[in-house]
Amino acid sequence: MTDATLRRQRLSFASATMRIFDLSLPQMLWSRRSVFLALVTGGPVVLALLIRAIVAARPAGALQVNGAAPSGAALYGMIVWLLYIRFIVPVLGVFYGTALIADEVDDKTITYLFTRPIPRGSVLAGKYLAYLVCTILLVLPSVVIDYFIVVPLGGRAGIGENFPALIKDLGMLAVGLAAYGAVFALVGARLRRPLVVGLVFAFGWEPGVMLFPGYVKRLTVAYYLQGLVPHAMPDESAVSAILQFFSETPTIVASLTALALITAGALWFAARAVERREYVLDQ
Amino acid sequence: MTTSRTRYFVIVSLLILTIGLGTGLVAYYVGMPPAASATGPDELRFVPANASLVAYADVRAVLVSQVRRRLLDVLPLPSNGQKEFENETGINIDTDVDHLVACLTPPAQGSGLPLSGMALVRGRFDEAKIESLMQAHGARVEQYKGSRILAADVHAPQRAANEIMSLAFLEPGLVAVGSDAVIHTAVDLKASGANVTTNDQVMSFVKSFAGNDAWAVGRFDALTAEAKLPQGVAAQMPAITWFSAAGRIDSGIAGTFRADATTAEAANNLRDLLRGIVAFARLQAASRPDLQPMLDSLQLGGSGTSVTLAFDVTPQMFDQLTAALKGLRRAPLTPSK
Repeated sequence: MTDATLRRQRLSFASATMRIFDLSLPQMLWSRRSVFLALVTGGPVVLALLIRAIVAARPAGALQVNGAAPSGAALYGMIVWLLYIRFIVPVLGVFYGTALIADEVDDKTITYLFTRPIPRGSVLAGKYLAYLVCTILLVLPSVVIDYFIVVPLGGRAGIGENFPALIKDLGMLAVGLAAYGAVFALVGARLRRPLVVGLVFAFGWEPGVMLFPGYVKRLTVAYYLQGLVPHAMPDESAVSAILQFFSETPTIVASLTALALITAGALWFAARAVERREYVLDQ
Repeated sequence: MTTSRTRYFVIVSLLILTIGLGTGLVAYYVGMPPAASATGPDELRFVPANASLVAYADVRAVLVSQVRRRLLDVLPLPSNGQKEFENETGINIDTDVDHLVACLTPPAQGSGLPLSGMALVRGRFDEAKIESLMQAHGARVEQYKGSRILAADVHAPQRAANEIMSLAFLEPGLVAVGSDAVIHTAVDLKASGANVTTNDQVMSFVKSFAGNDAWAVGRFDALTAEAKLPQGVAAQMPAITWFSAAGRIDSGIAGTFRADATTAEAANNLRDLLRGIVAFARLQAASRPDLQPMLDSLQLGGSGTSVTLAFDVTPQMFDQLTAALKGLRRAPLTPSK
């Protein structure tokens, strides 16, 4: 086959990305990791149903948080803060983002992708797109279900009143999944043990530096993501109290700009790493 | 390559999102049909739609609550006060009153008059006794659209309609007491139906108060405007449109304060202010473990433009507070040297 024929057969970056996306989405959805994903996103729904059952079974005011009876909207805000923002979004980013390239390396299947007539960077782009669609389609419906289970506890009027907050939540979580996914895709593309590094970053570095005043917290995704949250931060622990004490919330525009830059920058560096790096497969 | 089960998954996910967002959008613009048990007290039929403040108290629940008994132990009310009220009006608060709804309404534009108020008291009343007692004190009886209105102080010179105190029997077991103008409006509302239940903003608050023994909702801006605050003070007031408070009273008191700010930024500022106050109180109470549970129960919340602060004074905390109050009452005053 001549060089000219090969060039004709070589797909464009966008077409190759869509091919990889088409291939990766079912793989990602129906893998063993999906059981974990289902448990993680189903947890808040089960919790919301449990709250609803407790309220239905016991008289008004029976459900208390820190000794006070919270409203439906406040409970929903707590679920979004404590489960989605602080746990689900970072954990999905770590487990899926780091695995985009690392899984292909571990399974020794990356060679098959790299020998196709497609740009190497499109492998990462297609897989990242599949991650985004997969996580968004699981996390956002879970948030919507939670909203309709928990918010009406304070009266059905709450559904309409808090609707703008739901829209903001969905947008914020989608942006968060995109940013964390991109950061951990970069980690997965560059480092040998990406999962450990990812876990340390998400659950060590990020919550750690957020406790201290100063500029270091700007080196986290959580700082900008928390700037988009429409709910008040729940003060459920001493850590939260310190977080609130040192809270310095960036504006929405600044948060969105920073998250867009983080996502685009991380993806670009990850694609560059995939293009240039020689992946040595263990025999 | 996309398998059919992947396609089904995507369709189901998008369906949940679409239905959820569609329902939310309809609820946001049109409102949800009210639940049968969450439409508020029946007396709201007599409250004008433009009321600046609406409040409710389940008097019976408060009277039989352990909180009241504990408070009476520590701060006994003057024994003759309640008796005096009974002699004047023929109403025994302990036995005759079940619950009450109160409201404040703004005066007519440009009248320069203060806010007018009315209390709608539900219970068991001896109408003949009340009427004769009020007439004995110089009240005039007026028949207005089928309701008997007893206007007191009618002979006082240059009194506007909202400065005259009146009482009306709106229906069996329901007495309205308040400004003459508002009482007449309440009688009018009986027929017209243009009452506060047609005010969606107030009613959305009222529905959220279901299960509480006492609550109040009001327009903060309207009340502060009527308060005629000095310019400097008025400029420092937070940009709040609505405020509300609701609570349950039994062996303890649990409740929530809520304020709706004009913008999300104003709400964030208010949250920051409250957070600072709560944090300061926690720091101050570090050496007082007895106050710690009460401060821990303070929950700052809310989303968008709303700010909420929930609290709970448990029976144990009440015991500690009443013990402290008793201690203060018993402590002899020693002159400083």
